[in-house]
Amino acid sequence: MEGFFHLMDGFAGAATPGNLLYALIGCVLGTLIGVLPGLGPAAGTAILIPITFNLDPTGAIIMLCAIYYGAMYGGTITSVLINVPGEAASVITCIDGHQMARQGRAGSALAIAAVGSFVGGCAATIALAIVAIPLAQFALGFGPVEFFALMVMGLCLVVGMAGKNLAAALLMTVLGLLLAMIGIDPVRGAPRFTGGIPEFFDGVGFIPVAMGLFGIAELLIAAEQKQGHIVKATLTNLWPKGDEIKPTIMAIIRGTGIGFVLGLIPGVGAVIPTFMSYVAEKRLSKHPERFGKGAIEGVAGPETANNAYANASMIPLFALGVPSSPTIAVLMGAFIINGLTPGPFLFQERPDLVWAVIASFFIGNLMLLALNLPLVGLWAKLLRIPFSYLCTGVLIFCIIGSYSLKQSVFDIWVMLGFGLIGYVLRKMEFPLAPAILAMILGPMMEKSLRTTLEISGGSFMIFFDRPVALGLLAVPLIVFAFLILRPKALSQLREAEAD
Amino acid sequence: MLTRRSLVAASATLPFAGPFAGAAMAQDYPRRPIQMIVAFPAGGGTDVGARVLASIAEKAMGQSILVVNKTGAGGQVGWTEASRAKPDGYTLAFINLPGLNTIILDPSRQALFNLDSFIPVINQVIDSGIIWVKADSPYKTLNDLIEAARKAPGKISVCTTGILSDDHLAILMLQDAAKVEFRIVHFDGGAQQLTALLGGHVEVAFDNVGGGAVKRMQSGDVRTLAVMDTERSKFMPTVPTMVELGYPTVISSSSRGVAVPKGTPPAAIKVIETAFAKAMSDPEHVKKLEDAGLAIKVMVGEEYAKYYRELHATAAKYTEWALKQR
Repeated sequence: MEGFFHLMDGFAGAATPGNLLYALIGCVLGTLIGVLPGLGPAAGTAILIPITFNLDPTGAIIMLCAIYYGAMYGGTITSVLINVPGEAASVITCIDGHQMARQGRAGSALAIAAVGSFVGGCAATIALAIVAIPLAQFALGFGPVEFFALMVMGLCLVVGMAGKNLAAALLMTVLGLLLAMIGIDPVRGAPRFTGGIPEFFDGVGFIPVAMGLFGIAELLIAAEQKQGHIVKATLTNLWPKGDEIKPTIMAIIRGTGIGFVLGLIPGVGAVIPTFMSYVAEKRLSKHPERFGKGAIEGVAGPETANNAYANASMIPLFALGVPSSPTIAVLMGAFIINGLTPGPFLFQERPDLVWAVIASFFIGNLMLLALNLPLVGLWAKLLRIPFSYLCTGVLIFCIIGSYSLKQSVFDIWVMLGFGLIGYVLRKMEFPLAPAILAMILGPMMEKSLRTTLEISGGSFMIFFDRPVALGLLAVPLIVFAFLILRPKALSQLREAEAD
Repeated sequence: MLTRRSLVAASATLPFAGPFAGAAMAQDYPRRPIQMIVAFPAGGGTDVGARVLASIAEKAMGQSILVVNKTGAGGQVGWTEASRAKPDGYTLAFINLPGLNTIILDPSRQALFNLDSFIPVINQVIDSGIIWVKADSPYKTLNDLIEAARKAPGKISVCTTGILSDDHLAILMLQDAAKVEFRIVHFDGGAQQLTALLGGHVEVAFDNVGGGAVKRMQSGDVRTLAVMDTERSKFMPTVPTMVELGYPTVISSSSRGVAVPKGTPPAAIKVIETAFAKAMSDPEHVKKLEDAGLAIKVMVGEEYAKYYRELHATAAKYTEWALKQR
């Protein structure tokens, strides 16, 4: 109930003309990112962070979150119309969505995806409003010991699920942790790993690295790929046929549940919920043979699941300060440059901001619904822009963005350098998610571990005296044991790289 | 169409003013938002004072002042960044003395700034040190704490707001004066201390009157054992001073004010000084600082510069002594 009253206050904060505008801009930009193949939500959010520099923190966070869930909507459009997923979470939608488009039912496919996304997004946000406060209050009792254990658990889950190769994922984690250590020692002072380069004394900027690893690397990869053909969208018939209504509703309900539950687990990524939803729909269907030939549940379920996931994955971020995916890590970076540390204290320090942002999720989801149904034709036209122009435009935007954070030319080189590194790593199938998560969690992990050891007088036995910490540390051990003993169990689910 | 339009709209909000700043000054200053780097996290005494000040000084400056918390290593992370910022009047440093001084004075910190890296502009508060515990702590008085520490050397955890901060120095002073040894835990600022103590993760906090403790004292969550000053604090008149308790050498405080990086144009400094001085005498500023338990002590221009240098000399003695203690 407490959450409900806060949420009402949040609506008051989110419904100011300025914040409504930021939510709208975020939704439009997010849809754009989703529509454009080759730019996923992680890349898009990283690239667009600089445009929020001049906003107040509430407006900035509202806009960036809207970009994130907006991209989840937008990705569907290209999947349906040109059989090319705009982002990874819409891969599965291609199967039946594009078939529907070929049968002249693109309108129905897009409409049901929009409705499903809306339901999934709103349901997950309601759950966020209900569980966030109790969870944050529970986490308030966490000391440095428990926080260290929590972050280790989050990071290990991401590593475990991030790639086909566990060693590669671990290597990327270490890379991220090493990058995070550059700069001034957070406890004792004194610069370290700076190589005497003054620019490194403030540490390696998270935003330029994220823009490079995701934005530039994704552009380079996308530039290599061929562009698909556009099916002319018939948008007259928006609604499902009579006998499709019931399975569609059930698919949306199940998609919401699957997306929500998986959103709570760090490292799952947005792709797995969509696959699980698709598989569930196919298994439960009375006519599984329709799948692959334009079954509307095959669109409704996964599209609902990916939006429910997107909004549910805000719960660990808001309540615990643990980012569960690369996009959320980038969002967390945006919180930090705005002087906010996500986690239990944020509910105490800035309840106005937290609840305005949560309330804005409802507003944003509503805006997306309103935007997407009438504007689908317009989005489809965007795909006719030659990719070479688009690529150049985004590259220029990245350069300006990385410069403007600190007015530092050095940061442009950092961004471009990590763009190349990211490209090579992706070509070699190294997962990037662990690197970026380790980079953002690294400083906090280090600080909490060192405080823990100061409290214990240098003894690691303190972890065995704290049941909560011990329990949290046991989770990754179980996961790793499972991965090593049953290497194939998760192989099909581990395709998620960047969500 | 929409792509291009939205990209243009988006880029219009970028802070493109960057490259052009510095060229035009004096009469045009300030033309865009100003950032003030606070080297401690949100929620502690430093942050509260800085935020109140920024919100009121904005009006006199005619531009918004964004408080940016850059934390770590007892302020070293934030001040390093502030000292390296472009000296164009758009980056201000909120400085804590003697925390800033000890970083410069301790060679192991390899500080990238020195006393001349900043030009002190205006002081806001002098905040006396305090020692506090959770309300249900077995230590009812300072003597209880000292007795317990004698019985269990190096076992009682006491926390600072950062390494070689005024609080850390105060712990070292008390260890020396009472011939005891504590287990020292370093946090970043008063907000972290508060959560760690209330959560039962550490036992004793060395903090300042205007930190997180003053309100919690009124609500009965915490008990303050001593004020590390020669006179009682008007914000907690029932708490005895260190002099009364028999430790006249354990005197500690933190003073906080606004500085700018070296090279900032004098015209801009003048604008900042005038606006911040006006803000500090604003009744709203006075009231809000009183509420937070922060004792206002305004020092401007030469007076503050003199204080800044004199304090450094005092801090040098303490730091040299403290480094021998470690």
